[in-house]
Amino acid sequence: MSSSPAWVSAWLDAWGISAGLPEWVSASISVAALFLLILVPSATLISYLDRKLSADFQARVGPNRAGPAGLFQPLADLLKLLQKETRREWSWKENLWLIIHTMALYSTLAVIPLGSLALMVDTEMSAFLPFWSALVLALGTMLLGLGQGSVPGWFGGIRVAAQTLAGCFPALIALLCAGMRTGSFRWSVLASSQGFMPWQWTCFSNPFQLIALMVFVMSGLVLLEISPLDGGHSMSDIHGGVASHLYGRRFSLFNFGRFYGFFFWSVITVVLFLGAWNLPYHLVERLKDWGAVRLLGILELLLILTKTFFVMLLVVWVARVSPRSRVDQITDFAWKVLSPFSLVALVGASIWAGWRAFQ
Amino acid sequence: MKVSVFSGIVVYFRSVFQGVSSIARACFTAFPYLFRVGEFRKEVTEGYPDPVSSKTADDLPPRTRGLLFNEIDRCTGCRACEKVCPAQCIRMEEEPGADASKIWVSVFDIDFSRCIFCGLCVEACQPSSLIHTKQYEGAAYELTDLVASFGRGQVTPEQRAKWAALRQMSENDEVSL
Repeated sequence: MSSSPAWVSAWLDAWGISAGLPEWVSASISVAALFLLILVPSATLISYLDRKLSADFQARVGPNRAGPAGLFQPLADLLKLLQKETRREWSWKENLWLIIHTMALYSTLAVIPLGSLALMVDTEMSAFLPFWSALVLALGTMLLGLGQGSVPGWFGGIRVAAQTLAGCFPALIALLCAGMRTGSFRWSVLASSQGFMPWQWTCFSNPFQLIALMVFVMSGLVLLEISPLDGGHSMSDIHGGVASHLYGRRFSLFNFGRFYGFFFWSVITVVLFLGAWNLPYHLVERLKDWGAVRLLGILELLLILTKTFFVMLLVVWVARVSPRSRVDQITDFAWKVLSPFSLVALVGASIWAGWRAFQ
Repeated sequence: MKVSVFSGIVVYFRSVFQGVSSIARACFTAFPYLFRVGEFRKEVTEGYPDPVSSKTADDLPPRTRGLLFNEIDRCTGCRACEKVCPAQCIRMEEEPGADASKIWVSVFDIDFSRCIFCGLCVEACQPSSLIHTKQYEGAAYELTDLVASFGRGQVTPEQRAKWAALRQMSENDEVSL
């Protein structure tokens, strides 16, 4: 078990708080800090950029009334959703389920790789742990739908489960391809095997890794029901399925969970295939010489967030110019196209890695 | 017809390629809009309520069916509009006025919460007192504020008696003539 993350102790030392805190306290602080300082602002920024860019693509204006150029639109949306009344008060059992589901979903914040120092759980299997979030999200959504007791809920829940199952297989195989190159699934090893320059990234190291990157991104869209492959809970024949009975705070929490899935998927895409947080080597050495640990952490965080936002906006771009697919078309695509291509990438990547190993 | 394995594989790869290329082509169509080249520089939507591109009343076509207006001086109180209205949103009260030929329309209310702006009342109006304006912004904070009153107002019983006397006098004058 690794110790508490270095970045937390670095910040706490700077503020003079004694470093003798028990591990669970610093772990909780880091999870809460990641949530409030990284996740929520990212959600705000991405939702604003999503709406403005979609408007640009579609020759519209987009939000322009809430604040200059509509910058306060996410805040306005949040305030509106928070004050909407709910249709039916949940019983204590449902509220308990919601607490447990939320804890399980955001527990993987401890595994999100956001810098060389922000690695709380850096084990040999770290790369597989975010899948826990994806599966929790899917299971929770399915239960939410089935517990609704209405036709949109039942069909929506089952469709979400089917789509998740379809997306899981190629996603995991593509993940294996990335680990094939470095021989380990530790975040630190995956990141240090890549460099700052694009040609040093995993995805460009051999053509099979490029296929693996495409398959990984697309199967992530299938797995987490991200547009344009969000047929599981956006088909009009069931009025949106699972979310059709959610209002106000519950609706915003539901969508925040979906955003969290999208966000962490983009983060691990960047870490696995697109160069992680690697800054130019000389810069890193210079900062380490100066002992500027926190500055190094912040720069790495900014770099990885920039790349993440680029990936997310790329997906948004594809979503805005493509029509939605039906949920059975999506699962067909996952089983009949993504899975074979992921297996081809796996075989190719293993042969490539084995070739080099035997040289 | 038996399809060979080879052609099946070819069809598979061709469909995958077509899928990828169609998505790529769709993405590239977004470039002119994103970078505002040429005719894509302007948005195609109306910027309402910003005055930049939204339509004022003058931009609308001449036969626009906007909010209704009744010129009460020309209104004869014939109730043709009230009878033809499909939403039954016109309510009026009328009584004989000072002159025998004039009708005093004391109440003429149009309830715009019910009006569907079909224009049948304007077509039915014989003296053409009821017309469509080109105004389209009729929102109000209270439901009662949506009722437009064009009537001349209720008449007191004394006034009614005076008018009845006036009408009687003019009738006597006619008879004597």
